[in-house]
Amino acid sequence: MRLRKKMAKKLSIIFMALWLTGCAPFTENNIIEELTPVTFLSLSKGDEGKIKISTILPSLSKEKKSVVTQEVSLIKEVLRSFNLNFYQEMKFGQMRMLIINEDLGRNEGIMSIINVLLTDPDISLRIYLVIVKGNFEEYLENQLDKQENLDYSFYQMLKHYEEKNQGELSVVNLHEFKNLLYTPYSDPFLPVFKIENDAISYKGTALFQNDKLVEILTTFDDRIFQLLHNDHYLAVLPIPKLQVVLGHVRSKTKVDINKSLSTMTYTVNIDSRIEEYRGEKQLFDPQDLEDFKKDIQSNLEKQTQELVKKMQELNVDPLQLGIHTLKPFSKPMDEKKWIELYKKMDIKIKYNININPLTDANSKRQNL
Amino acid sequence: MEALQLFNKNETYNGFYVMLMVNRLQMLYFFLIMPRFLIHSYMIWVIIAVGILSQLNILLLSKWFLTRISSEGYNGFVQLFGKKLVRLLSFIGLFFILLKLFVIMLGFSEMVQIFMFPATDSNWLIFFIMLSCLYVAWKGVEKTIRFVVISFLCTFWMFLFFAFFFFPPIAQLSDLYPIIPMELSVNSWKGIFLILSSFSGPEFLVFLGPWFKTNNKTFRYLSYGNALTVIEYVFLYMASLFYFGSNYLSKSQFPVVTMARYFQNPVIERIDMVMLSLELFNIVFAVSIFLLLFYGASKIASGKMERPPSRVGFLFSVFIILIGMILVNEWIWKSDEKQVILLNLQILAGSLSYLVVPITMIVVMKIKGVNKHETTKEDG
Repeated sequence: MRLRKKMAKKLSIIFMALWLTGCAPFTENNIIEELTPVTFLSLSKGDEGKIKISTILPSLSKEKKSVVTQEVSLIKEVLRSFNLNFYQEMKFGQMRMLIINEDLGRNEGIMSIINVLLTDPDISLRIYLVIVKGNFEEYLENQLDKQENLDYSFYQMLKHYEEKNQGELSVVNLHEFKNLLYTPYSDPFLPVFKIENDAISYKGTALFQNDKLVEILTTFDDRIFQLLHNDHYLAVLPIPKLQVVLGHVRSKTKVDINKSLSTMTYTVNIDSRIEEYRGEKQLFDPQDLEDFKKDIQSNLEKQTQELVKKMQELNVDPLQLGIHTLKPFSKPMDEKKWIELYKKMDIKIKYNININPLTDANSKRQNL
Repeated sequence: MEALQLFNKNETYNGFYVMLMVNRLQMLYFFLIMPRFLIHSYMIWVIIAVGILSQLNILLLSKWFLTRISSEGYNGFVQLFGKKLVRLLSFIGLFFILLKLFVIMLGFSEMVQIFMFPATDSNWLIFFIMLSCLYVAWKGVEKTIRFVVISFLCTFWMFLFFAFFFFPPIAQLSDLYPIIPMELSVNSWKGIFLILSSFSGPEFLVFLGPWFKTNNKTFRYLSYGNALTVIEYVFLYMASLFYFGSNYLSKSQFPVVTMARYFQNPVIERIDMVMLSLELFNIVFAVSIFLLLFYGASKIASGKMERPPSRVGFLFSVFIILIGMILVNEWIWKSDEKQVILLNLQILAGSLSYLVVPITMIVVMKIKGVNKHETTKEDG
């Protein structure tokens, strides 16, 4: 018994010595009242090679929110400068979005930004990356009074379209972007939002060559891109030229490359239904419907051909076409060789369209 | 005051416990970093092949367990090798145990530090983990073996979570191409030894023979444990190929934990933290077993086998290990280049011990003429 008592005494002395001398092992103080989580960061180009970073503080408590902006040369430096200007400590653990200005992506590339996010284990790999055209800080300042939970609703929108790939928008998170960036035979893409007259709206998809933004697909091109690659689904696909709206468009794509790797046949099978038609054709007539299908088909083929041509010219491959050269029993091709091949490749686009005709409605003509 | 009952033998454990121990001792640390070194998709076949090799080892082990000598512990070994050789061998064994202890503990505490307590000194984490290991080991070999059930229940289901990565959009079949090796490099060899080393662990069960109740079913149980490990390795490795793609795989320092960070749940956001904490049960189990083995081996090596285990002696050996760990952490583990040396050393040592121990036991048994049939233990 004496031995045990002695031992307990010794141990308690060691413990007291350690704790009292301030050798406490946990240095970080995570008391919730003293912290303010950051929900998003907006990055844009500052003066003299610096980066301008803004966010809304405090993002979660009920106090009045304000936009804070700092210019820094290193991204993580912003933690210090924000902390010095705000009474609560900032934490990145709840970050949900990273908003990057178009200029930054176009001129400097975003590899360094991505690497900063990837190295911090606190930052989730699920944060959304978004490209913004226009002055996002100004938009925040103008809009914050009218719409207090601006950041949250923006996040909710992205989340909604990400789940189950509901079409409409390209939504890309950090993990997906990183994979597209670092995998051979693929180039990343991001959604683009434009700020116009105090409103923010989806504009299209930004295509990257490595980490540099080179092109923004808008309107019809972007719709086709959603069909071909990103979501394989669109709720509505208006084709203004033919005065028709296709609804619930589902697509399946198939890629065939010939042995000499000079021609690629890209087949898109589409299932859809006509939801609106303002043209002159008699769609109840099977022959007319067949003709009309062909019109849609050639229209889509032409548009897609142009889109793919553009990608080839820009030397970007967001559709990951190169992956189709991989085979289970052969050595993967060198990426440089693929890039050379891709530039020259003859890519044939083929659409097979399956359309349910207008139902429960009469055509205009018949009523006359 | 009661004497410390470290190596008492009141009850024996059946094949089920052996199965859990085989499996958990193979899932310690290397499986968490394995994908970083394997990289190529054809390594899946290598995992399976080494798994089959490990199965052969398991066969040898089960033969050993079926002999009466295996249940006699120290005396059995003396009968086989002679007193002096046993002392020498246990002295050599000390280094193997130490190396394994260092790699498991330092590797795991580094992970905890990076993902959970970035501002905490990793020496403190080592200290706290060692405290809990000391507590478990203090209860003796029997209770520690029983602890494997808790450790198994806390951790075995985790690999099922990774099924999430087997579905599109994350999984693409092309991530697994090419499925046969097109060229072999030095790294591939290193990969083979790494896998072999991660399969190692069950050879230490040889020294726990007295606590096992072995019968004809033991081989079956041992194989189940090994098979579960093969499934877990292949599952995790395939998931990491899908998630990272083989090009990025080598860049991720802790691939499996990084993958766990991608899980999302509306209630618990950082599932990886919960998983890491539960994994700690497994580490505590393994380290406690190794602490006991270390103390036992050091007693044999110093020729004090006849004396009962003493508190001071056990505490002293744990203290020495703790100090050793902290020193190795400061001098070797914290710098990446030197860490690689230690990892390579463990890769070699693990493979070596796993290959050599079971074969030696069987060969020596054959030479000494210990016949399986004459000495088979009665069931129960």
